[in-house]
Amino acid sequence: MVNTLENGIPLLAAERIEKWYGKIHALRGIDVVIHPGEALALIGDNGAGKSTFAKIVAGVEQKTSGRLLWKGKEVDISSIKQARNLGIETVYQEQALAPQLTVMQNIFLGRTETKFGILGILDNKKMAEAARRVLDELGLAVGVNQEVRFCSGGEQQGVAVARAILFKANLVILDEPTRALSTRGVERILQFIRSMKNEGIAVILISHVFPQIFPITDRFMFMSRGQVIAEKRREETSPEDLSRMIIQKTA
Amino acid sequence: MNTRAKIFVVDNFIWFINVGLYLLFIILVPTGFLTLHNVEFILYVSSMIGFLVLGEALALITGGMDLSLAENAGLSAVVGGFIIGVMASGLPGWVGVIIVLATGTALGAVNGILVGKLRYNPFLATLGTFLVFDWGTFWIRRGAIVRLPASFLAPGSATVGGVHIAIFIFLAMAILLHFILRYTRFGVRTYASGDNPRAATMMGINVGNTLFWIYTLCGLLAGFSGLMYVGYIGVVTSLIAQNQVFNAMAGAVLGGISLRGGRGSIMGALGGVVLLGILDAGLTMLNVSPEIRGVLTGLVLLVAVMINMVTARLRDRILMPSSGQD
Repeated sequence: MVNTLENGIPLLAAERIEKWYGKIHALRGIDVVIHPGEALALIGDNGAGKSTFAKIVAGVEQKTSGRLLWKGKEVDISSIKQARNLGIETVYQEQALAPQLTVMQNIFLGRTETKFGILGILDNKKMAEAARRVLDELGLAVGVNQEVRFCSGGEQQGVAVARAILFKANLVILDEPTRALSTRGVERILQFIRSMKNEGIAVILISHVFPQIFPITDRFMFMSRGQVIAEKRREETSPEDLSRMIIQKTA
Repeated sequence: MNTRAKIFVVDNFIWFINVGLYLLFIILVPTGFLTLHNVEFILYVSSMIGFLVLGEALALITGGMDLSLAENAGLSAVVGGFIIGVMASGLPGWVGVIIVLATGTALGAVNGILVGKLRYNPFLATLGTFLVFDWGTFWIRRGAIVRLPASFLAPGSATVGGVHIAIFIFLAMAILLHFILRYTRFGVRTYASGDNPRAATMMGINVGNTLFWIYTLCGLLAGFSGLMYVGYIGVVTSLIAQNQVFNAMAGAVLGGISLRGGRGSIMGALGGVVLLGILDAGLTMLNVSPEIRGVLTGLVLLVAVMINMVTARLRDRILMPSSGQD
C-alpha cells in the first residue's frame, strides 16, 4: 500500500545524484523519489547505474554530488551504520550472511541483544523469541538455531528480509532478489515483498528479470548509462512493453 | 539417539579419542600411567603449550593464524626475566610476572595492528613478527638468566595441595575464553569475522577491530605460556617455547578448529591440548626416542585431520534438514 508522509513529502528523495569512479561517470544526475509502502524497481542493463545508486542510498558508496532528502530533510549517508540508523536496510545479492552461524545469529548480526551492560552477554532467549516471531510472520519454517548454510536460497533471502522487518526498516533495498531462485523461491520472495509493503515499508528492487517482480512493483524506472531514461507505473505498462522498451533503448 | 545427543558425540569426539588413547597407554604402560600423579603431570606439562593452543585456536577461528605465538612467549619471558633478574634485580617477582604478561600482550597488539588495522595477510604478518621476536630474544639475551625471585617462577611452579597452580590458571583461562566465545557479543563477532568477513562488515561489525583484539588476546596467552615455561624450567633461557607454534597449531586442529575460519570451540582445543599431553607422556613412558615421538605426533595429526573431516561430514548429515529446499 503506497502512503505518503505529511504534506505529500516522499520517504526518500534523491536529487541530481552524480557519481564518478575516477574517469567513469557512473551516475549522471538522477532524480528518484519513493514513498512509504511503495515498491520501486530499478531496471536496466549491467552498468546502467542501478547498483551504484542503491549503494549510495545504503551508505556503501558516497555520491560525488547531489542531495539526499530523508522525510524532507537533507541527510548525509556516509556509512552503512548511518543508513541503518535512518531505517534503510539492504538485502544484498549474496545476502550478507555468515553461513556457519545460526539463523538467529544472522538475523541479529551486528545488532545482538545483550544483557549486563558492558559485559555484552548475549540475551539468547530474547533474540530467539523475536527471531521466531518474525520468521513465523514471514511463513518461514526454519529453526532459529539452524545453521544458515543448511537453508535454501529462498530461506536465506527470508533470513535477510527478517532483519529488515525485525529492525523496523522504513526502506529496504533488494539487490537482484530473485536471482538463482527456483519458482518456489521466487514466489516466496514476492510474498516477503508483499509483507513488507503491507507493513508500510518502501522497497527498492534492483533486477534484471523484471517479469518476475512485475506483479508486486508499483513503479519502474528504466536506467541506462547512469541516467533514468523512462519511468512507468505498473498500470501504464506490461512486462512485454518494458522488454520492448529495453531492446529499443539499448539497441 | 536423538539429534542433540548425536551432535554432542560428534562435537566432542576428541574427548572420546583422549579416553581411548589413555586406556591404550594404561595397557601399554601397566605401571605408572593410571595414577593421579601422572594425570596431574600430564595436565601440568600440557598447560605450557595449552596457552599457545588456545591462542592459535582464537586466531584460526577468525580465519587467520599466529605463527609468532611461541616466539612471543619466549621473548616475553626473556624481557621479564632480563628486567627482574639482571636490570633491576631488587624488584619483587610479581612485577616480573606483570612485565611478562604486558610484553606478551603488547607484542600481540603489534600483530593486531598489522592484521586488523593495516590489513596484512595474517600468515605474512606473523611470519615477520615470528622472525623479529625470535631474533629479538637472542639480541636481548643469549643464554640463561638463573637468579630469579621465587615469586616470578611461582605461576609455573607453585603447587596447592600437590597440584600445580599452572593447571588451575590454564583451566580458568580456557573456561573464560569458552564463555567469551560462546556467550558474548564479542564471541559472535569473532566467529562472524572468520566465517564471512564481508558479510560481517556489511552488517556493521568492525572486523578490523575484532581481529586487533583477538591477536592482542593471543599475545596475552603467549605471555602466560612464557610464564609457565619459566616456572617449569626454573630459569629464563633464549630457547623458551622455540618452534612450539607448529605443535600449538596441531593441538588446535586436533581439537577440530577449522583452518577456514568461523568454526571450532575452546573445549575442542582443550581436547587437543590433552591429546598432545597424553601422547607425549605415554610415548615418554614407553621410552620412545624424541625422533620417533615427533614422527608419531605428526602421524597422529594426519589421522586427526581425517577424523575431523569425517566428523564434519557426519555433523552436516545430522543437521541437514530433510525438506524445505527451494
